Amino acid sequence: MRKNPLTAYTFFKNFITRLLLCLFFVTAVPVSASDRTEELLIGIEPEHNIFEQMERYRFLASYLSDQLGLKVNLTIMSRYGEVIKRFKSLKLDGAFLTSYTATLGIKELGLEPIANPVNLNGEATSQGYIFVRKDSGIHDVKDMRGKSIIFVDPATMEGYLFPLAYLNRHGITDITEFFNRFSFSGSHASTIFAVLDGRADIGTAKNTVFSKLVRSDPSILQELYVIAQSPKVPEITLCIKNEIDEDLREKLSAVLLHMDQTPHGQKVLKHFEALRFVKSNKSDYDKIEEMALEARASIAEHGKNR
Amino acid sequence: MKTLYCLFFRILLTVLFVIATPLMLHAEKRIGVIMTGDVPYYRIIHETFVAEFNKRTVGDEKIEIILQRPFPNSISWSNAARKLIAFDVDLIVTYGSPATQAVIHEKSSIPLVYAGLYDSDHAAVTGKNVTGCGFKVPLSSIIRYFKRIKPIDTLGIIYSGIEEDSVRQYETIRELAEQQDIRTEKIDIRLRGDLDKLKTKKRDAVFITGSSLAHLWLDDIISILRKEQVPSADIFPDSSEAGVLMTLYQPPHLQGERAAEMAAEILLGKKPGDIASHTFRETELVFNLLEARRLEITFPIHLIIEATRVIK
Repeated sequence: MRKNPLTAYTFFKNFITRLLLCLFFVTAVPVSASDRTEELLIGIEPEHNIFEQMERYRFLASYLSDQLGLKVNLTIMSRYGEVIKRFKSLKLDGAFLTSYTATLGIKELGLEPIANPVNLNGEATSQGYIFVRKDSGIHDVKDMRGKSIIFVDPATMEGYLFPLAYLNRHGITDITEFFNRFSFSGSHASTIFAVLDGRADIGTAKNTVFSKLVRSDPSILQELYVIAQSPKVPEITLCIKNEIDEDLREKLSAVLLHMDQTPHGQKVLKHFEALRFVKSNKSDYDKIEEMALEARASIAEHGKNR
Repeated sequence: MKTLYCLFFRILLTVLFVIATPLMLHAEKRIGVIMTGDVPYYRIIHETFVAEFNKRTVGDEKIEIILQRPFPNSISWSNAARKLIAFDVDLIVTYGSPATQAVIHEKSSIPLVYAGLYDSDHAAVTGKNVTGCGFKVPLSSIIRYFKRIKPIDTLGIIYSGIEEDSVRQYETIRELAEQQDIRTEKIDIRLRGDLDKLKTKKRDAVFITGSSLAHLWLDDIISILRKEQVPSADIFPDSSEAGVLMTLYQPPHLQGERAAEMAAEILLGKKPGDIASHTFRETELVFNLLEARRLEITFPIHLIIEATRVIK
């Protein structure tokens, strides 16, 4: 299905895979079947800068370890949407998942959504953006014909599912025929840079990454124009396996939901770049399934095709 | 009387021969091509132009391509344009803004197809006999990438005051830099001796505009910048890998192909005014990690993954 994928995507994938192997051996190897109750292995989906990301999550893992009285280990997954495979092969106990993979996890693995972090703007949700350069001459879907589009990853709501649903709503069912070229960048930030540079005409990414880049470089907003926005969905969800002891699940949920009420918890939240955690609601993921249906492919089918 | 008839017949033959000779010459069509400068960027456009044009005209009448590669200065561009007009070519093709403007200045009725023109919408190259294709590279990205690898307080801009497109690029990037509180220093290259300007001041990075003169002396420029440990960026590809740290460019072969398509249509009778001009916007981003090592610059991994190609 993929046509002219970016070299950067392959490079990014290989790099993350190698890094993860190292991280996995460092963090996950000590976990054995006999001491599973004393340890939790939590997966994380990769962001643009995984070094910064690991740093942010490290503080949180340490805090949770202290509060729960057991070791919380982290492992970064090599790409979005690897959650299903990794839950099975690595025996993950839980994972911080983006909206689409959380939906997959809830549907296919029966994962329990526990809590969502609220970002520094006070939002626990994110939206997908479809954007272009202001000087591109592209104002709506009909101007997109014959142009190039860059998605994030097939397993992202903001970076793939939403644009597919949006295009479908405008009568575009075959992106291979409609676009001159389409590719996947591997991260939300990379799609934004690709459009800024002119390496792609149209980009898709989530609003929180878009806003973060604009905050660090306001000139970006002068150059990009957002053509469409998706409905808001939970950005990150901590999902836990149902097999995990219910007491532990409840304790974990309580620690997260109350951590903004202690100075130590607030300090950890600051490192994590969040204001607090809020309780997850399973029904929040229904609209993602609806979007998948609109894109004429069920979430399970997407999962199988990856 | 018979002698008179013979004389009349001979005169008639001579007149017919004189009239027929130019007609026979015109049976073979001629395209005149002017490069603003003999630099790799325009050479790639020309090579693709010739290959694509031959593909499109295979089996048709013979077409001669006369290539002019003047040294980049106003007189040479003007002379090249006049020479092709005097040859009475059927079509003129130009690469780069100065060569295009030199032809337009002559007010000839010969159709003109341009290529390799930066932001052709703002290049004042309109006319009923004129069409062509250009390119646009977001210069803001150059500043953005520089800032992601090191703090930039002063940006040197290499351009040529005699090359119209190079001047426009200078003005655009100066404006963008000033918006971000970056001081700019203009380095106007018209003669080889002007390269000494690169040795006089310290700047954090240098942007090389699409100037033919700058690219004729690119090796010398890079050699000076290397000594000063100054990174550079360019909007033309560093085909010879001279040592430009990063290049963000529009692949030139696409313009060669489109120009050939336009040229073929014109020679088949279509009017240039009926062929829409086109601006190519897709770009490629190349990082030279060998040069980064020489300059003791560390590229963050999340920056490297943005590149279309990495030289290492």
